[in-house]
Amino acid sequence: MTELLQNLIDGLGRGSIYALLALGVAVIFGVMHLLNFAHGELITVSGYAAMWALTSGVSWWLAVPLIIVVSIATSLVIERVAFSRVRGASDFTLLLTSFGVHFVVQAIFLLYVSASVKNFPRPGWVSNTYSIGSLKVEWFDTVVILVTLITLAAVTYLLQRTMFGLSLRAAAADFDTARLMGVNSNNVIRGAFALSGLLAGIAGVFWLMRAGQTQPSAGIDPMLKGVLAALIGGLGSLRGAVLGGFVLGLAEVVLRSQLPDSIASLTEGVVFALIALLFIFRPGGLITVAHAERV
Amino acid sequence: MGRLIPNVKRDVTFPAIGSILLFVAFVGAGLVYQSFFGGAGERLVTIALIDAILVLAIQIYVGNTGVLSFGHIGFGAIAGYVFAVLAIPSEQKLERIADAPFGLASIDMNPWIALVIAAVVTVAFAFIIGLGLGRSGAESGSVAATVITLALLFVTHEVARNWPDLTGGDRAGLAFPIRGSLDSRIPIYLALFGAIVVARLYAQSRSGRLAVAAREDNLAARAMGVNPLVQQMSALLISVVVVSVGASLRVYENGSILPDNFFFDLTLLTLVMLIVGGRNSVTGAMVGVGVMTIGRELARRLGQDGFEIFGIGLDSAPLDWIFRENLQTVFLGVAMLGFMIWRPSGLLDDWELDEWLYQRFGRGADPKPDTLPEVDAVNAETLRAADVEVSFGGFKALDGAGLEASGNEVVGIIGPNGAGKTTLVNVITGMVAPTGGNFSIDGNDLSSAPPFTLARSGLVRTFQNLRLFGALTVRENVEISALVAADHRKGRVLPDADSLVAEAGLWEHRDRRASELDYGNSRRLELARAAALAPSFLLLDEPTSGMSDSESLTMIEQVRHMAATVGAGVIVIDHDLAFINGISDRIYALDQGRVIASGTPAEIQADPLVQAAYLGTAAT
Amino acid sequence: MAKTCWSPPSVADSQSERPTPGAGETLLRVSGLTTKYGAISALRDADLHVNTGEVVGLIGPNGAGKTTLLGTIAGLLAPDAGTVVFKGDDITGAPSEQLLRSGLSLVPEHRRIFVDLTVEENLKIGGFTLPKADRPALLDEMAEQFPVLREKWTTPAGYLSGGEAQQLAIGRALMSKPDLLMMDEPSLGLAPLLVDVVFDLIDSLRASGRTILVVEQNATRMLAAADRAYVLRSGEVVAEGSGDELLARSDLFDTFVGG
Repeated sequence: MTELLQNLIDGLGRGSIYALLALGVAVIFGVMHLLNFAHGELITVSGYAAMWALTSGVSWWLAVPLIIVVSIATSLVIERVAFSRVRGASDFTLLLTSFGVHFVVQAIFLLYVSASVKNFPRPGWVSNTYSIGSLKVEWFDTVVILVTLITLAAVTYLLQRTMFGLSLRAAAADFDTARLMGVNSNNVIRGAFALSGLLAGIAGVFWLMRAGQTQPSAGIDPMLKGVLAALIGGLGSLRGAVLGGFVLGLAEVVLRSQLPDSIASLTEGVVFALIALLFIFRPGGLITVAHAERV
Repeated sequence: MGRLIPNVKRDVTFPAIGSILLFVAFVGAGLVYQSFFGGAGERLVTIALIDAILVLAIQIYVGNTGVLSFGHIGFGAIAGYVFAVLAIPSEQKLERIADAPFGLASIDMNPWIALVIAAVVTVAFAFIIGLGLGRSGAESGSVAATVITLALLFVTHEVARNWPDLTGGDRAGLAFPIRGSLDSRIPIYLALFGAIVVARLYAQSRSGRLAVAAREDNLAARAMGVNPLVQQMSALLISVVVVSVGASLRVYENGSILPDNFFFDLTLLTLVMLIVGGRNSVTGAMVGVGVMTIGRELARRLGQDGFEIFGIGLDSAPLDWIFRENLQTVFLGVAMLGFMIWRPSGLLDDWELDEWLYQRFGRGADPKPDTLPEVDAVNAETLRAADVEVSFGGFKALDGAGLEASGNEVVGIIGPNGAGKTTLVNVITGMVAPTGGNFSIDGNDLSSAPPFTLARSGLVRTFQNLRLFGALTVRENVEISALVAADHRKGRVLPDADSLVAEAGLWEHRDRRASELDYGNSRRLELARAAALAPSFLLLDEPTSGMSDSESLTMIEQVRHMAATVGAGVIVIDHDLAFINGISDRIYALDQGRVIASGTPAEIQADPLVQAAYLGTAAT
Repeated sequence: MAKTCWSPPSVADSQSERPTPGAGETLLRVSGLTTKYGAISALRDADLHVNTGEVVGLIGPNGAGKTTLLGTIAGLLAPDAGTVVFKGDDITGAPSEQLLRSGLSLVPEHRRIFVDLTVEENLKIGGFTLPKADRPALLDEMAEQFPVLREKWTTPAGYLSGGEAQQLAIGRALMSKPDLLMMDEPSLGLAPLLVDVVFDLIDSLRASGRTILVVEQNATRMLAAADRAYVLRSGEVVAEGSGDELLARSDLFDTFVGG
């Protein structure tokens, strides 16, 4: 029982970050039908910014807003330079464009910064824990879960209660009709990228706090987690993306602790096998979005 | 009667000749290159030859199905490790992976047997992955399938890193006693030639063509009796065999394997090669490998030495900030982005060397086929739909509609916009699941059968908004149906595809792409494509929409003649009442999802309910 | 009406045109509009105008080009020739999001309401282009004008019946305070009783001084409700006149039933 509770808390901490990443992926998929394989690059770029700032003596308190701002700016720049040129193109083109962006960003850091892993100091409290009964809870997980809940509440407010959120949801549901209502397609797409960058920035803060390092290929892992979580939840569904993030986080933690030692290091493989099974039996993901097939 | 399908000359002989030419050209270019650059050049060429095998493998899947796969290098990793674990002598394995499960460490196996086993094991994996791919692809579109392939790539990498007992882990990996154990290029040449032939022949095969049809228009392919999942699976398995061979050779040639050898870098490289050349063409894939190998080498050398490599004494110092080591990775990424933004179909699009040769030299006289006789036998089958109900989110599109049609009559369906006409046809062809009611042919209930089963049972439709296989030629469009008919409509007289093209008045356009046809011809092609399935019933959804009045009237004769040629009954929806009245033996009038009248055209025209439905009742 | 040769009238011409006696000035003037889908002309050389305060009908059989004409005016489709002048400005080919800001609003075919958004949210998004301060008053106005909607204010629009959804679509279009309201087949797929509701609504909108251009298949009802109407067939305008004039022309009705 205690072990399960412990897993639950650890899993929620991990899943929170995935949920933020997946939500950013889902927002862009909604408005542009683009699955953004370059989503992790937001963390690569902001990771280098954090490394630069932290190693030149800036405190984490200042690094946090820096990471978020850099992430949003990177998201907008990528949209402007690459994705704005392939709006409305086929899925194939969109996918490979984002894959190309992923590689170009990675290669730029590889060439012009360094191929090696760059370390930076982690905030001291990251590995501190406190106890509730027999449970050992990390301060870090606590903060992550709280911030994520606040962020999700704020995003919900943004989407439900503001005109921008309304236009974003309308555009995701039916882009042409939203334009007919006067919703400007540039604004809504850029807004989606900014929101996606914001979410990746918050996730990135935690990701980087825990990692304490960055490298050119640092974006692959968060990208994959975000994209997979969005897919598990059901592509196109924002709620599904958040749910998918938590499910993925929990599955990883539970499996890692429950699998026999001999294959515990293969958790990723087992998780993937489960995802493959999920798609055989529930091909639309957890929350299926109706895809009307126009005949 | 015309000739049989397949056309041996076009589908076998010329692709074989083209494969030889491609192979000779590619290897020849490689030999010329290495004669200039010596040892380093030799290694580059060897690697390019193996890359070509991998790229061809990806082309077989991606080109024919249109689904983007990041996973083929992941399959390559599986094959590479199986090959390495089996083929590396036990002496080396006992040093690195003495604890390998199943006593694998003490096996000494002939590398060529190991290669075969590697392919078999990888294909088994691919089959399981393929089930998930197909299901989720059908449900959520190709994007979901692509993510699964990406996850596969990532996970094979993770497993390879974290299972040191089997793979030697992240750092050490597995290695043959000496680097470059493969001392001859002959196996590589053989494998490359084989890969080219397989890729070309698969594209020309029944399965390849049906897969391409589904790539062009999944829904239309299903409506023509194609089950895309089967074709995508066969494309996947064949491509995985080729990728396994390529990956094993790569490991053998390299003498070692590490997790990073089969990860993102190789995925990027092979995908860029494929899309730069043109993913829908085997020739394009080969061209892409050549162009990108040279381009990448140039970028690498530029990064290392700047302009010195040209020996022209240009000072590249001002560009030093660009010319860094690893310039080739930027080059690959930028090439990928650039082609996606400005030329997504690649340099060659779907141009194929052997097709071009065939058009030029192989055709010989292509006489216009004889006209087809009309089928004498009366088609006595009866289609019956009763009490069909369909609701979309509270809106009842069909509310108890029904109809009956026999195989020797033309039945028209009319009704104002939104009356439920198209929905009724969608139900009968399996595109929309009815929420109530049933329909059957000769008493066989077909209410919940998928579209391709219905098409094979003889219910074949056309689409209101034209769904042709755009990249295929007119002839190929009709041949798709003929291929399906050959397997699934055995009991019937199968019309010759070429003759149907001629009957539709499209003979002079036979080798043009369907996407280049004008509207009227596109409509006629849809009709011919449907007729080639030798259907029991042709369901035509607005066959004259967008046609002028005079064109519509000529359609009457064409539809009747086409139906008589294949012995099919006709059910036709149209808003052009002159056309409907002219063509139909009987008419059903629909309004509000219900049949409000049925009878001869004259009876329908005189029916007050029909008039009211069309003109609207006067304000009360 | 269909001309054999086409010469685009300049904007100045259309502005100097005298308004039809007894009606407001010309609000919308479409001249020589031709729109193609690939090789086919869905609309050929269409001319029409709408004066302020009028309800103008566009009738014709399925596939006559009515929706194409409306879509081209609304900037959803790009014309191949011809001009659209609205309030004196040439708006040919302007994107739809811009047209709304100049006072032209379209109720699209099949309503296209946002099914996941609530009734209130649908209306709000209709007023997207308005200053924030104007929206509450307009929302109140809509709640008053459409009692059916007020009852389901916070219901997701996907749960509305066809008639309610159509009213929502119209209300949503009215939220932008349009000078010209265009409706595409508002009675499509509605039961006869609900068709009455829609036409009553059009009547009451006219009474409140709105200018409306309606594409409708229900010709009899449309002609009864309209000040003037145009008849389209095979992509061409084949007749124009007041509702009563056209109602009296039995030859036109053969167009519909195809006799």
